[in-house]
Amino acid sequence: MLQYNFSLALNSLKERPGLTFLMVLTIAVGLGLFTTIQTISYYSSDIPIQHKSQNIYLVTMDHRETSADPIERPTQMPDTTYKDVMNLINAPVPGVSYTINWNSYGVINRDADTETAVRSEILVTDAAFFNMFETPFLYGGGWSSEADEKGDAVIVISRAMNDRLFGGIDSVGQTIRVNTDTLTVVGVTKDWNITRRFYDRTYAPGYIHDFFVPTGYAINSDIPRNENFDCWETEKEARFEFENDKWTQLINSECGWMRLWAAIPEGQLEGYESHLMRYIDPQKQLGRFPRDIKIVVDNINEQIEFVAGRNGYINMFQMIAQLFFAVCLLNAIGIMLAKFIRRTKEVSLRRALGARKSVIIQQYVMEVVMVGILGGILGVIIAYFGLWGMLNIRLYAVDYTITAESIAHQYQLNPLLIGQAFLTSVACTLVVSLYPIWRICNIPPASQLKSA
Amino acid sequence: MLKMENVSKIFRTELIETHALRKVDLHIKAGEFVSVTGPSGSGKTTFLNIAGLLETFEEGDYYLDGQNVKGLNDNQLSDLRNQKIGFIFQSFNLLADLPLFQNVEVPLRYRGMSAKERKQRVEHALETVGLASRMQHLPTQLSGGQQQRVAIARAIAGEPKFLLADEPTGNLDSLMAQQVMDLLEKINEQGTTIVMVTHDDQLARRAHRNIQIFDGQVSDMEMNATAELVKSA
Amino acid sequence: MEIKPILLALKRSKFLAALLVIQIAFTMAVVSNSVFISVSTLKEWNLPSGIPHDDIIRVTPRFYDRSKSVTAAVNNDLKRLQEMPGVLSVTPTSGSPFASENVTEVYLTSEEEAQEYQTVIYDGTEHFLNTLQLELLEGRAFTAADMIYDSEEKNSEVMLSEDMAKKLFPDSTAIGKTVWLSKGSDPVQVVGVYGNFMTGETLNYYGKSYQSILRARSTWSHEQEPQYLIRMEPGIAESKLEDVASVFYQEQGRYLSQYERLKRVQKRMYDGRGSRALTFLVISAVLVFITAFGIAGLTSFQVNQRRKQIGTRRALGARKSDILKYFLTENSIISLVGLVLGLIVTLVMTFELSNIEQENLLDIGLFIGIALLFWAINIIATLVPAMRAANISPATVTRGA
Repeated sequence: MLQYNFSLALNSLKERPGLTFLMVLTIAVGLGLFTTIQTISYYSSDIPIQHKSQNIYLVTMDHRETSADPIERPTQMPDTTYKDVMNLINAPVPGVSYTINWNSYGVINRDADTETAVRSEILVTDAAFFNMFETPFLYGGGWSSEADEKGDAVIVISRAMNDRLFGGIDSVGQTIRVNTDTLTVVGVTKDWNITRRFYDRTYAPGYIHDFFVPTGYAINSDIPRNENFDCWETEKEARFEFENDKWTQLINSECGWMRLWAAIPEGQLEGYESHLMRYIDPQKQLGRFPRDIKIVVDNINEQIEFVAGRNGYINMFQMIAQLFFAVCLLNAIGIMLAKFIRRTKEVSLRRALGARKSVIIQQYVMEVVMVGILGGILGVIIAYFGLWGMLNIRLYAVDYTITAESIAHQYQLNPLLIGQAFLTSVACTLVVSLYPIWRICNIPPASQLKSA
Repeated sequence: MLKMENVSKIFRTELIETHALRKVDLHIKAGEFVSVTGPSGSGKTTFLNIAGLLETFEEGDYYLDGQNVKGLNDNQLSDLRNQKIGFIFQSFNLLADLPLFQNVEVPLRYRGMSAKERKQRVEHALETVGLASRMQHLPTQLSGGQQQRVAIARAIAGEPKFLLADEPTGNLDSLMAQQVMDLLEKINEQGTTIVMVTHDDQLARRAHRNIQIFDGQVSDMEMNATAELVKSA
Repeated sequence: MEIKPILLALKRSKFLAALLVIQIAFTMAVVSNSVFISVSTLKEWNLPSGIPHDDIIRVTPRFYDRSKSVTAAVNNDLKRLQEMPGVLSVTPTSGSPFASENVTEVYLTSEEEAQEYQTVIYDGTEHFLNTLQLELLEGRAFTAADMIYDSEEKNSEVMLSEDMAKKLFPDSTAIGKTVWLSKGSDPVQVVGVYGNFMTGETLNYYGKSYQSILRARSTWSHEQEPQYLIRMEPGIAESKLEDVASVFYQEQGRYLSQYERLKRVQKRMYDGRGSRALTFLVISAVLVFITAFGIAGLTSFQVNQRRKQIGTRRALGARKSDILKYFLTENSIISLVGLVLGLIVTLVMTFELSNIEQENLLDIGLFIGIALLFWAINIIATLVPAMRAANISPATVTRGA
């Protein structure tokens, strides 16, 4: 019976190929757009280092003065002051490890050759960074924690910059110039396919750092601090100078500007949070933390979910795409219903000749599933081109300030997304076909046979 | 073969109730060839639909081949139709896009027969109606009489005990009508019970027995000469 | 044309009608919202720049060697550039057209509660207006005598752009008036008004693209490095780009962060928004297309279903136009219901989207416009199969099926 119904369904699709094609095409177009935006949204909420992301937390505390704006969202929490970072790191909690970072920039070239120099962002961080976030390395690796303390002039560069500056060779041990200093390359990272630059709280899609230098070096050489300093009113004016100057004043100030990340073992979050509270309380005696105590210790998952959920463009696009898909489905189902109605006579004959209702249902479900699968195939193809288009629009929109290869992975279908697209196609087509199928299987046998 | 006791069918719309059939009592024996006549709107079609298990009824009992069909569910009715009843319609109702073979095969498919048995039966049925050589033709390539013979082949392919014909010659000219009647009589002679609805008195008279339906009631059962001959024989 | 038989026919094919109504409603919702988004994104889009942006090159050098003197470098740069063939006029500046995001406020009084007027302040030499080819509309232009080169010294005079002058002094001339460049301090006198030019995205967003203030000031340091605007002879800017860059490379201790024509800066300013709006508009167009096809398909199906009925009507004396009218009226009833429902769906969706965008996107006039356009498209989609219906021969009746 299955086989018979299969051949009937197939014949029916072949019967009016134009109509079938229109039906499949509408579903495919709707699904194509839907899958395109699903893919973009999927990567936008893609969580890095998933096997441990739940246990890596950004530590933030509201050190600001009473007059500062209230915190409504975790992303509004200020960065951390140098004082607090140092105090916390120097009072270790068993099992908890930290890493810190801040942003800098510099002019970087291989020799004193100015014409090939690039101005680039530089991430200032410590040895723990590469372990905690599992930065993949092509050559060499991160630096040692002694290098942080001693202020060694070492640098980790990206694969892309290694290609540009060294022609892709293993450049470990070679030197490059950052502004007027000379630094030794200790590692070359592989393409780090994290969708968002989460580690410095920018959450920017793409733009992963090409250069990483140790904190000790950054402090010794006083390279620029490319940060927004969240200061108390008394130091508001000075914050413009903190970028290049006044290190001593900065580290004694109430300005938050550093990211503090903590790896906290499973189940110890509460303990760590009360550790933070116990740390803040005595600080209040010193005239710090004048507001009600507010700390936010969110892991990577929580942050990415929050940020991805607030992406207006994607949300908006998703809403449009869903309705778009709905219209396409309605459109397809109208055509399908019309096709079915044309066949009421045939169905009533088949019923008279003894076909059970369930057999008729099977036949039409099969037809619908076939349409769903065809729509799925074509839809995935359309999504492939849709994503290619979106990638190019993105590159065009940012005036090619990022390279295609650095973000291409965010516009790629994977088996999961393709599977999801097929499932969506078949399931949605089936759901909207329920009524037409129900209607056709309930045609009374022989009811249509009288009229000539 | 077919026994109706007190069968009534009422159509209800928002405004009126129509008794399509009123307390019909009827007994058709195995092997009989019965014609049903009556004016338009008399309830002929309703009778045929109930007899053919295409419609349900409100009151009474209906025994088909000794089985009471009242209260059977849709699936059981489908299976009964498939196995025990063959249908012949005025407008043939062949599937236009399928060749003759596949048209005749339809009821056998729903019976779940093996391909080999289907082939055998379809070929046999088409031979019976004299169209075996046209097996791969499409219905549109045939004349009306030939099409109706295909429909008959479809009806008998499953070897039903009971054949229901609704104005089988209504769309045919008299020569073709005669051929179709000859075929039906031949089938009847081989033991299949036939009930034929018609408005043609001359054709009706070729049956063993004629039932008249008037205003939803089976008012008269008139044995005709042939039937009596059979009886007495 | 009688409506009643149409309504009865619609009642008989309820599901199909409902399907069309919902489809039209959803299409309307998607299309209107896409257009709303696009319109809000494209607000103030591609406005006239006010300057010959094709012929002006912008160069942004940045020092990495803080031991070098910025002032000396600026002097050298200007001297070298002025000697370069093809260069018509050049000025160092604190900001560039299309790319000035450091919006500040200007005030008409020195009071604490003085009203704020948004603007961008440009510092440049006496060649600023000439470089950008801005017309002097009123008062006088800055000359070499007005220039301030000492960073300790303050400017006492400014020029305003035409829009800025109108905004601050709507009823009278701006010349000779005093404005404050920061709250309670820096009073300056307006000496001239120049033609408008596009400042950048931030003011553009507020619809105040052309509000700018010019100071005759050229005081540069490592903390505030200048950009350069260089107007070339018409048509040669593109080909001279590298030559201009090499002039800047003669100075040591710095690199060129950017050198490009202002045309490209302008493109960058609008492109992000433009591509986004375009995406949504393309989606809308595709959707309208799909829906139109669907409507045409279903109407054509109905025509087939009713061949006999149509033939009968024709046999009974209906004109071709009556048949056309029948289908068009039927479609219009469906469209009308769909559009009303569409308005409701649109309102709900726009509300949601406005929440996401933090901006009121709703524009009822636009909705009505789109609705009428969509209706027209629906009529065309119906007309094609309906014409076929009108051509059904009255003989269909006698021939039988």
